[in-house]
Amino acid sequence: MNRQPPKWADRFLQWYCRPELLEEIQGDAYELFYRKATLHPRQAKIQFVWNVLRFFKWSNIKRTKRNYSLNSPTMIKSYLTTGIRNLFRHPLNGSINILGLSLAVAIAITTFIVIDNQLHADHFHRNIDRIYQVTSYVKIDKGTEEWSDSPIMLGPSMLQEQTNIESFTRIEYGNADIRYNQNVFNEQVWFVDPSFFEIFSFPILAGDQQGLKTKNQIVLESSIAKKYFGEADPIGQSLSLKFRERDKQEFIISAVFERPTGSTLYPSIFLSMDSFQDMQPDKINDWGYKVDGTFILLRADRSIAEVKNHMRSFVRDQNAASPQWLVDEYHFRPFKGLGLVSHEIISSISQGSQMEGLVSLAVIASFLLILASLNYMNVTVATVATRLKEIGIRKVIGGQKKQIITQFLTENFLMCSLALVVGGIISYLFMLPGFNALFPSNILFEFSSGNIMFLFFAGLLFFIGLISGAYPAFYIASFQPIEILRGKEKFGQKSLFSRVLLTFQFTFAFITMVGSFVFIDNSIHLKNKDWGYQHDNLMAVRVEEKDKYLTLRNQLTSNPNVVHLAGADNHIGKSDDKITLTHHEQQIETIDFRVGYNYLEAMNIRLVEGRTFTQTIQSDEVESVVINETFGKKLGWARPIGQMIEIDSVKRYVIGVVADFHYKGFYDVLGPAMFRVAKEDDFNFLAIQVREGHMNEVQEQVKSFWQNIAPYDTYEGFVQDDVFASFNQNNNAHVQLLTFVCLITIILASLGLLGLVFFNTTRRMKEYSIRKVMGATGEQIFQLMNKDYVIILSTAFILGAPSGFFLVNSLIQKVYPDPKGANPLPFILAVSIMMAVVAITVTTQLVRITKQSPSEVLRND
Amino acid sequence: MKGSYLGELEELVLLHVGILYPNAYGVAVMDEIEKQARRSLNISAVHSVLTRLEEKGLLKSKMSDPTEERGGRRKRIFLLTAAGKRSLEEANELRNQLFSQIPKVALQFRLA
Repeated sequence: MNRQPPKWADRFLQWYCRPELLEEIQGDAYELFYRKATLHPRQAKIQFVWNVLRFFKWSNIKRTKRNYSLNSPTMIKSYLTTGIRNLFRHPLNGSINILGLSLAVAIAITTFIVIDNQLHADHFHRNIDRIYQVTSYVKIDKGTEEWSDSPIMLGPSMLQEQTNIESFTRIEYGNADIRYNQNVFNEQVWFVDPSFFEIFSFPILAGDQQGLKTKNQIVLESSIAKKYFGEADPIGQSLSLKFRERDKQEFIISAVFERPTGSTLYPSIFLSMDSFQDMQPDKINDWGYKVDGTFILLRADRSIAEVKNHMRSFVRDQNAASPQWLVDEYHFRPFKGLGLVSHEIISSISQGSQMEGLVSLAVIASFLLILASLNYMNVTVATVATRLKEIGIRKVIGGQKKQIITQFLTENFLMCSLALVVGGIISYLFMLPGFNALFPSNILFEFSSGNIMFLFFAGLLFFIGLISGAYPAFYIASFQPIEILRGKEKFGQKSLFSRVLLTFQFTFAFITMVGSFVFIDNSIHLKNKDWGYQHDNLMAVRVEEKDKYLTLRNQLTSNPNVVHLAGADNHIGKSDDKITLTHHEQQIETIDFRVGYNYLEAMNIRLVEGRTFTQTIQSDEVESVVINETFGKKLGWARPIGQMIEIDSVKRYVIGVVADFHYKGFYDVLGPAMFRVAKEDDFNFLAIQVREGHMNEVQEQVKSFWQNIAPYDTYEGFVQDDVFASFNQNNNAHVQLLTFVCLITIILASLGLLGLVFFNTTRRMKEYSIRKVMGATGEQIFQLMNKDYVIILSTAFILGAPSGFFLVNSLIQKVYPDPKGANPLPFILAVSIMMAVVAITVTTQLVRITKQSPSEVLRND
Repeated sequence: MKGSYLGELEELVLLHVGILYPNAYGVAVMDEIEKQARRSLNISAVHSVLTRLEEKGLLKSKMSDPTEERGGRRKRIFLLTAAGKRSLEEANELRNQLFSQIPKVALQFRLA
């Protein structure tokens, strides 16, 4: 009979069918098939398949056999016992190993909490899905910029003409001096519409839940309330605020709110928009005036697209009123996730972390985690050398491969859980507080939800458990018992895998080390960078009213410790006002400083050529400017002195050129800058050059003078050294973070190395002992031991160091306009540190070998 | 009591196992039912019923010698047990008893 039923169907039947039923079922199916096959072969085949499918029912399907013989629970207990005993047998190594893993776990946990916190920022607002910020696309020379600012009229007009929005609130920043006892504090206040508290859900701790109702009310953030009133109840108290160049005004505290840690908005004091109207009545109906932000609350059943369609007329109104800032269109930014994109919006109200930053944090953390897990794995594989007999015996007395795998995975998951707990503790006690201190923040050790926490920890355990445990478990289970017990298993001698792994680890260590060193080197270079002027003995005070300025100046003139005094409208380091001016049809944008006559001398600005302003030359006030070198270069002037420029059609002539100086942080390229003479009425700052070594003294004096002159105004004096403080702080935070990552990588790499060296020496103890008996010196053995690691280390260095350098250097080139060039120092440092680490590690083991008496080792055989 | 009730198809299969004695196995039963009762069943359905009857203790089975027509496989030959015979008798008796109780008139009316 050559006709056969379809093979696949037959196989399928054999696969699913219970063995005890197979013969009769298959027999019947075959019988029916053969009966039909001679006449209708096709039909017979179809029928066969059909029958096979019909037989596929529960009663015929094979049952999986129970693990009848393995008695698992008892065995798991035995696995745990051996695991724990094994840990105690090598306590040092075990704990080092777990500690290494814990460090990486702690970093992972901390990173996750930070990212989780940032991604769920602002989620405490009940209406978050319906809140949008209206931003403006403003036309500039090339393309458009997205501004947080929008016309003051926009919010009310939208509410009037559109049914799609439920309410709106504008936010306008203001500054007020608040006097309390003898001290005056300058605080930022937010003028908002009363609907602010309906749209946003900042928790109200005390007072009126609606926040602001009338225009003489004020709402304080809890820490501000504490600052002024301590533990006393602030509700109903009054506070007097003084706005610049205005009289004092009393406000009644109506509520105290809390700013949750997950907020990307940072309000501290709220006042009503109506009080703003009282102060600036001409602004409130002016399409040309812009508030710092407008937020709308969309109606629940509407889409934002419907709102967008009705914005044309508002663009026209705004552009008619302020032709100097033409708006292309209005854009609606969802409040949910606004913090993550806040860097795209100019002067954004919401301030969150950039997505890129979070991603790079996550990448670093996972990298370290993988590294630590592989490390752990490497050592586990090496440790197996000491457990070969156990595995052999287990196999001989009937242990199956599956059981051995289970044993090692169980053991591994146990260790990983331990690492998870230790890592959690490290993160809670050290890393998260450290992070909060480094990047001033207030992130709590908590997760956005219980589910996320559970998933994260389960995922983490699974991840490290599997990465670190899978390979050793399968590897170990594959040993032949006879080979092991005969002592023939040449274990780990040519384990290419662990060498590749170690090379990879050290490569990574070199990348981070060289990278960090390059970055740190550059930071030091920035810190010591020439600012373009001598800033050591300079201080300045903000004084905005002429009479106060004059009084303060007169009181200081006679002071022997004051070398120079000068007023200025805007001050170097505090302002970068830009203006556009023309020179023979050519336009140039420049930073504009309007200063007093001897300001350049007081600030130690270096004169390159020409002269500075002189009070006796009358024309200086109206038609002279002093420029910096870049200004002249930009316009291609060979001889800048005497060149003519026009500012708003007024001609001015260059009388002097000064050296370039830093007026901002170090992120930007230095652009053209110029000085011109300002009137005393416009002065906002008093710059003071102090005699060497008398800075503190003078500062105290100025402060006490100020308290007499202006008891209701905040004293805003500062040392010139501090003007870039926030830049430096930011820079320092990065340096510290990098140093930390660098340190962890070194620790992980050296732990991995230590584990490996330790077990390699254990394994080769016999060899070394024989060598010692034959007369080898410690030095020779040291060389022998080091040969391997030198190769690994050199490979890692060749791969890692240049990549680290190029990676970080390209970053620096991008961020800083004037970076420090290549420098051999980072490379030398990295190599020396690594060599030291390797030398120390290997030496500890060498000591072990030297101390070990050869007879002890050899007698055992 | 579970297992005491005999379904219609079960009764049919049980009868045919009796008829085919001593050669009752899956395909034979299926063929015989088609011939006698003109009911076309799938072989898997016959198998399920046979298995069920065996579980109820109404049938017993043994393996036959290998046969060429089944690719050298053996058949499972089903035989009536005493319990199987008794339940057939009971079913038959019950049916006759019930049938006899039908009034003549009703039958005549029906036949007319």
